[in-house]
Amino acid sequence: MGDPELLASYNYDEFIPEKFMRWLNFTASPLLGEPSPDFPLWDLDGRATSLSATWSRYTYLIVEFGSFT
Amino acid sequence: MNAIADRFASQNVGSIFLYTHEAHPGENYPHLASMERKFQHARDLREKLGVTRPILVDALDGACHRAYGSMPNMTWIFAKSGVPVYKSDWTDHHSVSNAVEYFLGVATRRRAGERLAPFRVERLDFKNKDMDAFYKGLERNGPKAIREYRAAFG
Repeated sequence: MGDPELLASYNYDEFIPEKFMRWLNFTASPLLGEPSPDFPLWDLDGRATSLSATWSRYTYLIVEFGSFT
Repeated sequence: MNAIADRFASQNVGSIFLYTHEAHPGENYPHLASMERKFQHARDLREKLGVTRPILVDALDGACHRAYGSMPNMTWIFAKSGVPVYKSDWTDHHSVSNAVEYFLGVATRRRAGERLAPFRVERLDFKNKDMDAFYKGLERNGPKAIREYRAAFG
């Protein structure tokens, strides 16, 4: 998580096409029905968990991605 | 989406909000430069915008968000095995509810003895386009967010 260039470009400071369009890559996202990648996540108290630890608790898991803005 | 979480919880359908990055950074909610700030924005999502589902926070470099396509408000549904069964480049509660009902119906059909095999389908769904509400959201972020959105899309 330490690449300063990646951190700055992903967390872009201006909503201008040159900065946000490069990240919109839904067409290359994982295929339905195929194993998908797992990632570490954190709850609001800072406790570490993961996507797989969450999906494995349920028959189905709905994940909405987003932010305050 | 909170209502969908409540509606299907008794059928062991979980629902989370995964905090990514600021799509429209403004004076009040600037771009993220630390995990501390990311946690604070995520807490505001719960306290000011009323997200009642569990909120989980992605890494500061958006590793999870980027791997799944980086759309600003997409929704995915995963089966217990981790296999994704639904993905939508935007979030619409009608679409998500429809999908969950379908998948729960598959389990019911299997219990009834149907032999089922998966296949892939594409579908064009429809979302509400409420620009007044959208601009109110941008106002919360700060005037910069409105200026930049108008400059990008007119």
